[in-house]
Amino acid sequence: MKSLPYVIALVVVVLLVFVPWVASDVMMQFAIDALLLAVLAQAWNILGGFTGYVSFGNSVFYGLGTYGTAIAMAQYQLPFWVGLVLGVILAVVCALLIGFPILRLRGPYFAIATLGLSAAMGAIVSNMPIAGSNIGLVLPLVRADTMFYELSLGLLVVCTLTVAWISRSRFGMGLVAIREDEDAAGTMGVNTTTFKITALVLSAFFTALAGGIHAYWISFIDPASAFDPTLNVRMVIMAVFGGPGTVFGPLVGSFILSTIYEYLASSISTAAALLFGLVIVLAVIFMPRGLANMVGGVRAHGPRFFLQNIRENRL
Amino acid sequence: MRHSITVLGALTLLAASTSLASAEDVIKLGASVQLTGPQANTGRYYRDAYQLMVDKINEGGGVKVGDTSYKLELNVLDNQSDVNLSVRQYVQLISADKVNFLLGPFASNFALNDSSIAEKYQVPMVQGGGASTEIYTRNYKYIFGTLPPADDYYFSTIEMLQKLDPVPKTVALVAADDSFDVSVAKGTREHLKKAGMEVVVDQSFRDGAGEFASILSQIKSAGVDAILWSGHETDALNFIRQMKSLNVDPKSFYSFTVGVPTSDFRKALGSDANYAFGMTSWLPDESLKDKWYGDAAQFAKAYNDKFGYQPDYHAASGAADVETFVYAIEKAGSLDPKAVRDAIAQSDFDSLYAHIKYGDNGQIVLPQIVVQIQDGKLVPVYTDKILNQPQYPVPAWGKRG
Amino acid sequence: MLLAQILTNGVLLGGLYGLMALGMALVWGVLNIVNLAHGAMIMLGGYAVYFLFTGAGIDPFLALPIAIVGMFAFGYLLQRFVLNLIVRSAMLNTLLITFGLNVVITYLAQLAFSADFRTINPSYAGSNVVVGGITVPLVNLAAFVIALVLAGAVWLLLNKLALGRAIRATAQNLVAARLYGVDPRQLYAVTFGIGAALAGAAGGLYGTIAHLTPYIGASLTAKSFVIAIIGGLANPFGVILGGIFVGVAESLTALYAGPTYSDVISFGLLVVVLIVRPARSLRAA
Repeated sequence: MKSLPYVIALVVVVLLVFVPWVASDVMMQFAIDALLLAVLAQAWNILGGFTGYVSFGNSVFYGLGTYGTAIAMAQYQLPFWVGLVLGVILAVVCALLIGFPILRLRGPYFAIATLGLSAAMGAIVSNMPIAGSNIGLVLPLVRADTMFYELSLGLLVVCTLTVAWISRSRFGMGLVAIREDEDAAGTMGVNTTTFKITALVLSAFFTALAGGIHAYWISFIDPASAFDPTLNVRMVIMAVFGGPGTVFGPLVGSFILSTIYEYLASSISTAAALLFGLVIVLAVIFMPRGLANMVGGVRAHGPRFFLQNIRENRL
Repeated sequence: MRHSITVLGALTLLAASTSLASAEDVIKLGASVQLTGPQANTGRYYRDAYQLMVDKINEGGGVKVGDTSYKLELNVLDNQSDVNLSVRQYVQLISADKVNFLLGPFASNFALNDSSIAEKYQVPMVQGGGASTEIYTRNYKYIFGTLPPADDYYFSTIEMLQKLDPVPKTVALVAADDSFDVSVAKGTREHLKKAGMEVVVDQSFRDGAGEFASILSQIKSAGVDAILWSGHETDALNFIRQMKSLNVDPKSFYSFTVGVPTSDFRKALGSDANYAFGMTSWLPDESLKDKWYGDAAQFAKAYNDKFGYQPDYHAASGAADVETFVYAIEKAGSLDPKAVRDAIAQSDFDSLYAHIKYGDNGQIVLPQIVVQIQDGKLVPVYTDKILNQPQYPVPAWGKRG
Repeated sequence: MLLAQILTNGVLLGGLYGLMALGMALVWGVLNIVNLAHGAMIMLGGYAVYFLFTGAGIDPFLALPIAIVGMFAFGYLLQRFVLNLIVRSAMLNTLLITFGLNVVITYLAQLAFSADFRTINPSYAGSNVVVGGITVPLVNLAAFVIALVLAGAVWLLLNKLALGRAIRATAQNLVAARLYGVDPRQLYAVTFGIGAALAGAAGGLYGTIAHLTPYIGASLTAKSFVIAIIGGLANPFGVILGGIFVGVAESLTALYAGPTYSDVISFGLLVVVLIVRPARSLRAA
């Protein structure tokens, strides 16, 4: 019974592989975007969901992945995969370097330090001639949406498998122990520093790959889009909306929110931002522990679940 | 009962789709424009200009292709000032909404991204919102633009300065660090060098930062003759306000790439806007003859009557984009993207915006008209000769009435 | 002389920065809510003063108290009927809900005020005095003084008044707060109201110096965030000092490294401050 979600997931993945042969161009565009966003939410989940360290710095890794790919391809005419590797190396090295000092910070301190890092990194890149300064870089144009789609899908599958493995492993239990009580976890023999840095590096790895794929696909990048803080906020929202610290929550959360956003943006166009904001506000009020929690809660308590949430969290 | 409703629904849908199919004499133009978000203030010019032009052309009988006359249909989506969304919307316009041709968004970075979609699908895009040279140096075949190259924005200004008394010798060049303004600064440096003027302060600032106290203090202590400024409108506004409050007085001249021609700018600054120089590629002048509106002045009047604000060069440039398609389609005699693309490349006609003729790279070449705000009014001062006497040198802040 | 001028610019601007951050620091320190809609509330305060000035002809500095009262009411109602519903859930949720509110407020502001940019431009807006060769803009100076006065008022409130003691008790312990006989729901709403009122004051002053659009909120939130952390959440004067610190640092960077580096410096500083002094408690009010 416990394996049921995995069986469903497998079937869904197999079906998704064949999407490019039936989907329209718009669907493809949306699907690639949604898949990459799901990777970002899932990668954020590795650190944020399991250890409770809320990172607003994942856009640093996204930006480095983006720029690694773009610099290799636009400045040195290297092939795409070399760019991806370069982006990943940049992001992982960066994660190791910043991990030691900033993972000592707790709670909101950590969140803010990461926010500062991503803003500073964007500003540094916009002053670097090799990265095209603040103008950005133009990558060669390819018409290969099917490739981008399959790459994104593959990346999401690998990322989710990693999260699934984490959730069952000793490593994952260590991360959860850190979330529940870091000091206690330390005294119980969890090497908290190693655990946290490993989680950060994994998160950086997947985030950078998503950034690299996106860079080649969109074919023009600049610091504002590569280090976009609202993208980071979206990762957090999607993961938290779906259910942080679960295997499928961030996936479901990101697909639902992407769909809502896309639907609003293309059908009623101008009021989209307003409704998107309202959805977030209402979601926090009525399902503060995410979708995954809501599914169980509604099954157990029916509609009263929502009122219970308010009762628990209000003053 | 439920069934009959579904059947009824399906029937109406069917009816609707057949009626659509029979209405095949429509040419669809699509664009994704900033209607909300930080750039909505300028984005509206494009939506309104596109709409006004399309309506006028339809009133005048539409577009003739062979023996059939087509009506234009406009589909404008709101990209919320979000580049990624605008890229998706252009794909949607091409592949789902099946538009025939593309009109552009506002701003260079949007045009840079969105033109890749046009190129990918080989659907011509004529855009009047991005002037950066990067858009045209990628050897794209399907992108055309009606804003003149950013490098030359200050060309006419510098030419004019050399004919004035006294000729400024030292210049402060202040430019934002985005694609468009970096192009402007690069070109301006070269033009200044040729003119023999010395750049003593050369600073770039973070686009949108709005904070100039440090730069202004440096300009003040360097005691320059002229300030040439390039950036976006709100920054220009803040620059002037801070110039006044810090008593920064260049000896004779200061000028901005944007802002000065718009009524919004003058309204926000009041009398502090006086004496500021600026530039525009377009003024609503009767000498610009047009097939649909007669001339640019009548276009400006129709625009103001309908939308309640004055058009500026953004709007006129957008209107010219629509006209480009009409001329090109009629000339090509077909709706085939390739044929129309080739016809656009050979455009050669007068419009309310300018004489439209695209260079090999797809970009138009136009001189900038130097303008100045004199007593709250926008006065054209120079193109290749003096049009109206400029108020020069500009008086110090402390010595104004 | 150039250096002295630039330091003066930085200090004056920093005072206003400090005022922007003050409301955010108060709400954060006491209610544990990191208000991502803070910048949007600064924006609303700016528009309130703008319309009082252009519509009713009230001098911006006289309009300021009206905007403060209006924003207090806005903040009070927002906390009382929306944010109070979720204050006991995870801190992350307060981030999310205020992010959502920011989107909604910004959108509604564009609907109501349009995307046009505006300035609050009284006749004396650009005037200045020259002291020993240094130009001091009068409006900036007034903004600086008002920031200090309001910081003083907040300090008095927190340290000398019964309401303030109750607010501080809330920051430490919700149960203890009940001992003061104040309904915590009211107390939360009042505190958030004060935060909004301070944002409103900052907005009015900001509009007389820079420009207003519905979209200025996001960058102002980020700035307030940085300053609240650097200045600390405990002492109102500390926040103002943090603002001055950032203002001066930005001005000096602009002078020596170029203005495009000012974000590198201010956010770099933030990270360094956090790493060097990680132990300070955030919630001590």
